[in-house]
Amino acid sequence: MMVHNSLKWAVTAAISMLLLACGGGSTATDGQTPQADPLDTVRKTDASLMKIGGKLFSIPSPVQTALLIRKLGLPYQKELPMSNEAVDKMATKAQRALALGAYGADLAYVTVHKDGQRALNTLQTVQKLSGQLELSNAFDQTLLDGFKKSLNNEDSLLRFTGTAFRAADRYLKDNDRNDVSALVLTGGWLEGMFLIMSGPADKMEATLTNRVGEQRRTLENLIALLGDTDTEKTQGTLIAGLKDLLTAFDGVSTTYTFETPTVDAAHKTTYINSTSTVTMAPEKFKAIGDKVKALRSTLTA
Amino acid sequence: MRKTTHLLALATALSLGGAATAQCDTIASLCEKHIAAAYIPDGQFYRALLREDETAEFNLTLFGGTTYRVAACSGHSDGNLLFSVYDKDRNLLYSNKEFNNDPYWDLVIASTIDVTIEANLDQSKASSGCAVMLIGFKK
Repeated sequence: MMVHNSLKWAVTAAISMLLLACGGGSTATDGQTPQADPLDTVRKTDASLMKIGGKLFSIPSPVQTALLIRKLGLPYQKELPMSNEAVDKMATKAQRALALGAYGADLAYVTVHKDGQRALNTLQTVQKLSGQLELSNAFDQTLLDGFKKSLNNEDSLLRFTGTAFRAADRYLKDNDRNDVSALVLTGGWLEGMFLIMSGPADKMEATLTNRVGEQRRTLENLIALLGDTDTEKTQGTLIAGLKDLLTAFDGVSTTYTFETPTVDAAHKTTYINSTSTVTMAPEKFKAIGDKVKALRSTLTA
Repeated sequence: MRKTTHLLALATALSLGGAATAQCDTIASLCEKHIAAAYIPDGQFYRALLREDETAEFNLTLFGGTTYRVAACSGHSDGNLLFSVYDKDRNLLYSNKEFNNDPYWDLVIASTIDVTIEANLDQSKASSGCAVMLIGFKK
């Protein structure tokens, strides 16, 4: 019976996937209601490959953080990004994945501050880490060459970086390495938080503190993402650290007021007019910053 | 016989994973054209395998003062995927169903907002397939 079921399962799934792969999905025609297809089997086979009807989490790009730092006029602090030599100390897959994300955030930081040589060195470090993590060719020589040619074009550099990280993320998900993907995102987010919270105290204006206070849901998403993907149960300390950081957001109050959006259909644009506020005491900001810095120090420990 | 059949099942499962991946990759490549040069990719790749009325749910924070482009694709042509954006109180902020299933749309964010994007197949066009969502933002 078991043999029979295995064979039946394999054949049914093979036929289903061949249809799916060849046709780009089962398609309804002539207004007919599409017939249910036997993709239940695919759901079983692909359960670890893709989330199906479940929750997916998006973590804000660290490029946005770097752009905000510049917009606020915070000074460029060369000592803040991780040193490119630190990469040699990283021996485990998790350390390298976290560092890859962190260097990605650093790359955005040095790029928006026009430090071309540092950007190039950081990209080489990213390339080295991606090789160690066997990330195919997301950060290949072509990217490096294109980056070099665009050193004076910030928009191109940021786009290059975003495209390469997306390619890496795609490669990781294609190869069922969601744990590495989650760690890269965590490293990038943590480094972004470190960079934005390490500016001079007198520059801590409302826009910046608001941005920090607005990270609660992202942090919750990260914790959920890491919990979902940590199949080897090796990230308990990191998750505990992030949960501890989340407790520091207690007492950060937020308000949200829905306003009807405005649509400009001709330009395919919707203006989301809802408003939100964040209120955070200075000591709360400091408490969050201290925990961020402590967690970030573990990246290079 | 039993061992052989299990091996066949395993090999089939592995090849199926590859087929699904290839399908998603093809769709992603087609979808990327909607994130125009003016937008910086957010560095992430979102996908879900959907069938019938299943819904994929994406949770994200959109920051105030930013213009985002959301592209959502399935199959080899535009318009197979419906996507709707809700705020945390389930107020509908945008749905491409109201705009001929447009595969991409810009969202200009006044104040930072936590949203949920729900994506599902337009069942009049497709009953199963890989759903891909890409996000970019303007500097």
